Amino acid sequence: MKYAYFLSCINESMTKEVDRALNLWKKDLGIELVNLERGTCCGGSNLDYVSPDHFLAVNGRNLALAEQLGLDLVTSCSTCLLTLRRARHLLDTSAEKRELVNALLADEGLRYGGTSDVKHLLWVLTEDYGLERLAAKVTTPLRGVRFAPFYGCHILRPSALLGRDDPAAPSSLERLVEALGASLVEYGSRNKCCGFHTLLVAERQSLAMTGNALEEAVRAGADYIVTPCPLCHTALDAYQDKALDGRDVSRNIPVLHLSQMIGLALGYSGKELGLDRHMIAA
Amino acid sequence: MERREVSFRIYRYNPQADRTPFYDNFRIAVEKGITILRALNHIKEHLEPRLTFRAFCQAGICGSCAVRINGVARLACTTQVWDLLTGSGDDPILIEPLGNLEVIRDLVVDIDPIMEKLKRNYSWVRPAIPEEEMGRREHLVSDEEFETINAASDCILCGSCYSECSMMGVNRSYISPPVLLKAFRMNNDTRDTLGCQRLREATADNGLWDCTHCHRCTEHCTKKIPIMDGIHRLREEAFARGMTHSEGARHARAFYDDIRDLGRLKEVTLPLRTKGVLGSLKMVPLAVRMGLKGRRPPLLAKRIPEIGRVREIYRRLEANRCGEAVGAIHELPQRPASRGGRCL
Repeated sequence: MKYAYFLSCINESMTKEVDRALNLWKKDLGIELVNLERGTCCGGSNLDYVSPDHFLAVNGRNLALAEQLGLDLVTSCSTCLLTLRRARHLLDTSAEKRELVNALLADEGLRYGGTSDVKHLLWVLTEDYGLERLAAKVTTPLRGVRFAPFYGCHILRPSALLGRDDPAAPSSLERLVEALGASLVEYGSRNKCCGFHTLLVAERQSLAMTGNALEEAVRAGADYIVTPCPLCHTALDAYQDKALDGRDVSRNIPVLHLSQMIGLALGYSGKELGLDRHMIAA
Repeated sequence: MERREVSFRIYRYNPQADRTPFYDNFRIAVEKGITILRALNHIKEHLEPRLTFRAFCQAGICGSCAVRINGVARLACTTQVWDLLTGSGDDPILIEPLGNLEVIRDLVVDIDPIMEKLKRNYSWVRPAIPEEEMGRREHLVSDEEFETINAASDCILCGSCYSECSMMGVNRSYISPPVLLKAFRMNNDTRDTLGCQRLREATADNGLWDCTHCHRCTEHCTKKIPIMDGIHRLREEAFARGMTHSEGARHARAFYDDIRDLGRLKEVTLPLRTKGVLGSLKMVPLAVRMGLKGRRPPLLAKRIPEIGRVREIYRRLEANRCGEAVGAIHELPQRPASRGGRCL
């Protein structure tokens, strides 16, 4: 199984451990990733406000780079996922836009044709690899560990562009947790917003969202939150002390990246997986 | 006719009599084809006459029967009981009032805050025709012009997006999705003259830039309007009209600049560029603690290979700016940028 790999800006800097963990175990599953070295930032759901044209051109370019490799594109950042899928949808539904973008890409020898799909790492595991196969690879079942799955937004909504889990009743993350031998807690915030995208412009309100999710997960008795998105991770982990400030919550709760949870079940140590890099000790 | 026993778990609260809200359970026989609204009517008529809810048209047009069904806002009159039945059929269907609004009684909420915000934000067309000529001459909107606002015009003000909005959940003063959608709709109406004023109001505190892009409004719109796209278009309009003196706009601009300069986001200065020197100072303690854990972006972000290719794309797009090089790309079309000039 070979994919073009869209690292995402945050996984290259603040949350390097997502990438470190994935790179540890990918070979165990026979997954090969080819870095999109020349790929750019997707614009983080911000670029299109400044200029829809630039948004479409740079993401058309990112998609064309994957096509040049003849591979589907995989990312472990939900906002990159949605942004790239949005660009793909807009290009696929307008021959005119496709032509204009391709005119901009021609000098570089690139062409957008719509042949590479854009997938989240979670989908690669649940759909392409298969949870039964993954369960068979588990060397250290996470028995007795209670996870609160936190999906965040951009892997679920808008479902018209993502089309996997039902945003009101998602299940892929739960099925993955169970495949690794761990157990689940139920809580209401699993498909809600972490607040990350407005942390810099409406901090108090954003931290209230983060705090609600954290408080619910703690009250539900979870040992860990697990999330498929490094932006959600940053809100839930790095901002946790701020988000829980003034709340009557008995303890902190460590937050794992999807790739770290899998790494633990495949026998890698917390140190190898970069758990020591988290703000809340895991 | 298929028929089965179905349980309903319904939120009850009379603020004048009950100390706290509670839930009542009802079990009734339901035929296939029955809506949640018909079931509520049946319960009211036969089991609990005090059960209070709003409804009128029974056709998904008036928007008055929106309630939370199994946790998310939907119209009671267009939601089929049969579609909600689980395999065993024993899980009750949960019916609660809309979120983010005060309960008047049971499933009835006070929608005045939505109406107040609509008023404050000029959610109507202010036409170019002078008052005295109103009704005397027509101001036609062509099919093509209407297409731009067609989807947004479907809004029935049911309040579902208001109920499901993430930002509303933590800030009742937030402008809210239906008001932003109306602002998009009115600002793109060819008869309207209030563009700048409306946009200025929408971009004030607790406004347009506070949206978290969670897409819950779009996902739960009972008329399938891509509301989030309308919000996107308003943000684009803010840029097109030069209204960029806000943290939200500066934040977005940073992505545009960094992709051109480096190809990647330069996270180390993102807070500074969004919030300014004073605003970002209070982030220093957290940044230091994160730095100690190695959670810091590189001070000198490295450029992607062949950044010149990206800059060439930027250069060609800039040269074509007035010529609609790529043009309107979203699900909700927008009138040509030339209609909305810069605001003073």
